[in-house]
Amino acid sequence: MNFDISSEQQILKDSVDRFVQDHYELDKRQLLVLTEQGFSNENWQTMAELGWLGVSIPEAHGGFGGNQIDTMILMEAFGKGLVLEPFFASTVLGAKAIADGGNEELKTQMLPGVVDGSRQLTFAYAEPQSRFDLEDIVTRAQEDGDGYIINGHKSMVLHAASAHQIVVSTRTSGGQADQAGISLFLVDADADGVEITSFPTVDGQQAAEIKLEGVKVSNSKLLGELGGGYNLLNAVATDGILALAAEAVGAMEILYKDTVAYTQEREQFDHSLSDFQVLQHRMVDMFMEYEQCKSLLYRATLEVVQNAGGAQRSVHALKYYIGKMGTFIGENAVQLHGGMGVTEELRIGHYFKRLLVIDAQFGNSDHHLALFAA
Amino acid sequence: MDIDLSSDDLAFQQEVREFLATNAYKHGADYAQWRLNWFKLAREKGGWDVTKWPEAFGGPGWSPTQHYIWEQETAIAQTPWDLPFGLSMLAPVLMSHGNEEQQNRFLPDIRDRKVNWCQGYSEPNAGSDLANLKTKAVLSEDGSHYTVTGTKIWTTLAHIADWIFCLTRTSDSGKKQEGITFLLIPMKQAGIEVKPIITLGGSHTVNMVHLTDVKVPVENRVGEEGKGWGYAKGLLAHERTGLAGISKSLAALENLRKQANEVKRGNGTLLDDPSYRAKLAELEIDLLATEFTELRSLASAANGAEPGPESSILKLKGTEIQQRIQKLTVEAGGIYSAAWGAMPVGHMFARGGMSGYLSSRAYTIYGGASEVQRDVIAKNVLGIKRSQTK
Repeated sequence: MNFDISSEQQILKDSVDRFVQDHYELDKRQLLVLTEQGFSNENWQTMAELGWLGVSIPEAHGGFGGNQIDTMILMEAFGKGLVLEPFFASTVLGAKAIADGGNEELKTQMLPGVVDGSRQLTFAYAEPQSRFDLEDIVTRAQEDGDGYIINGHKSMVLHAASAHQIVVSTRTSGGQADQAGISLFLVDADADGVEITSFPTVDGQQAAEIKLEGVKVSNSKLLGELGGGYNLLNAVATDGILALAAEAVGAMEILYKDTVAYTQEREQFDHSLSDFQVLQHRMVDMFMEYEQCKSLLYRATLEVVQNAGGAQRSVHALKYYIGKMGTFIGENAVQLHGGMGVTEELRIGHYFKRLLVIDAQFGNSDHHLALFAA
Repeated sequence: MDIDLSSDDLAFQQEVREFLATNAYKHGADYAQWRLNWFKLAREKGGWDVTKWPEAFGGPGWSPTQHYIWEQETAIAQTPWDLPFGLSMLAPVLMSHGNEEQQNRFLPDIRDRKVNWCQGYSEPNAGSDLANLKTKAVLSEDGSHYTVTGTKIWTTLAHIADWIFCLTRTSDSGKKQEGITFLLIPMKQAGIEVKPIITLGGSHTVNMVHLTDVKVPVENRVGEEGKGWGYAKGLLAHERTGLAGISKSLAALENLRKQANEVKRGNGTLLDDPSYRAKLAELEIDLLATEFTELRSLASAANGAEPGPESSILKLKGTEIQQRIQKLTVEAGGIYSAAWGAMPVGHMFARGGMSGYLSSRAYTIYGGASEVQRDVIAKNVLGIKRSQTK
């Protein structure tokens, strides 16, 4: 039993911490938020050069061959900087679906570009009616010669406007909420019939609604088994949850530490705010829940990596707790900063927004508590 | 990073399981005899009767992982009752601050479970503010003995104790924390009066202890006069980094889940009640988190590091979880939870549940109230210093 990262992972951590420190001051970040693309090409290239974009991609396809622990290290640091580049959509979600479910030719064709940053992927799993149920899919893929024709509507697809390919969950058979009958396809973003409508999200990132009308894909673009795509869908969602939780833990650390620092500087009633016991105890609770989130993050991540029996339940536990405590820590950070807490000027509000968006992705707190209790 | 037990740890786990299974209590046997024999056999295993003692004093010298395995296995096996006062609270103080003669005199009887100790710390006006204690100890002119007068309160099992280890005041000058002296006092003597305090659960566990002109030979002083606070405080810190009862709580929760499944509700059981089920789930998730917080803390201790910030939260989280399990047991008892004591009505497992719950309210009060724990974390972990008042 060991909770230390390896020396290689320590080097990774040091370099990503330095990147965040050098490139992610709030002012610089907010300028990137205002651009149409919503992130920096220069940063994206740096990430590629440092090997991060291939962190979880097999070595055979030019990647680093790491596991969810390596991704956790990157995402926790990205959470501390509120990093905007689409690493999560492209490497964690899109590349995972191809690496685990694509045929050899497709992997050879797609993955090296993800690693060097020339190709960007994203993952379209949600639909307007599906709420948080991965298996609730009405987008249909119908057999047509040596391929399929897809019709449907996918929701809240991260960074779709800048993506080259989109992994799309579809139904090839079965009823609306059946786990059986789901198939995943890789669709070119510029294919005929793909209509992408982009909008900003609360946390300054980019997402899109995607309409698919008569979109043709060849058989070779099938990821996972025909009609048996649920397992792949769930595996990608699991990696997604672990990565988002790591990012959330990074954001929570900033929130509680900024609050401790601010209450020591700010004076009212001739005292530092931090002299007041009611505020001290609130901050202790924020700190404790941050540590508990970190413990569940380690638990779920290590169990998934080691394929332990309780892994799926631990992932539900993690997403529930991150959502609940992300809101708790965020709300209290704002509260304890007083009026300044509700301004755009301080960074804490931006971290709070990110935590709220994380709660809404891949199933919120209530959703995962229900799955855990089932 | 990995969560596997090493092959040595797995072999140890097997050895512990075998020991506990082989020496389990057999129905109809003489309990007291089984109990003492169990400790004797544990001792023959190489210090398994004093698992937390250092090797130099006969402990097993286990790694933190081995301690964790022991805790997990003993949580689900039947082991003889044991009291922490001599074994885990006084013994470490004697080992670090007692002289050799005191160690030889007291440690063997503690180890053999022959002598029962109680702890004389709190006083009517010294609860969370323990350093405010007033029990006076006056040294005789010839320096041969102290005369002790004062009142101790919340003294657990003082009514069955042979000895009490006491914090007393030998000086009023300087800071409150200075002038406190650590004395060892036999209970069975004139001048000591024990009065029971009945707590909400209806049980007699704690007492008020009055000491009137009790003569204590100077050989019974541990360490130096006026340095007792430091010895006691070191012990409290030691206690806080200890285990938070997580393994026992995990076993209790598993039990509760099984029992709730036997409580009928409509056409199903209590486990089908979504609100009860959600409470069980939330509790289990808190336990899964706290278990890993404990493992992180153990792992850093195994590397010889100081306990990390995460270890400070174990007492708080651990005791709150224990209380929630008691509360859910009461809820499972339904209408019968109103029956006082352990009357033979209602579900067997829920009998006396309310008493257990009421008693558990003390968990977040003793050993440093939760509010004091939060004060300590704010100061020592978050680094919040009191600002200058203007």
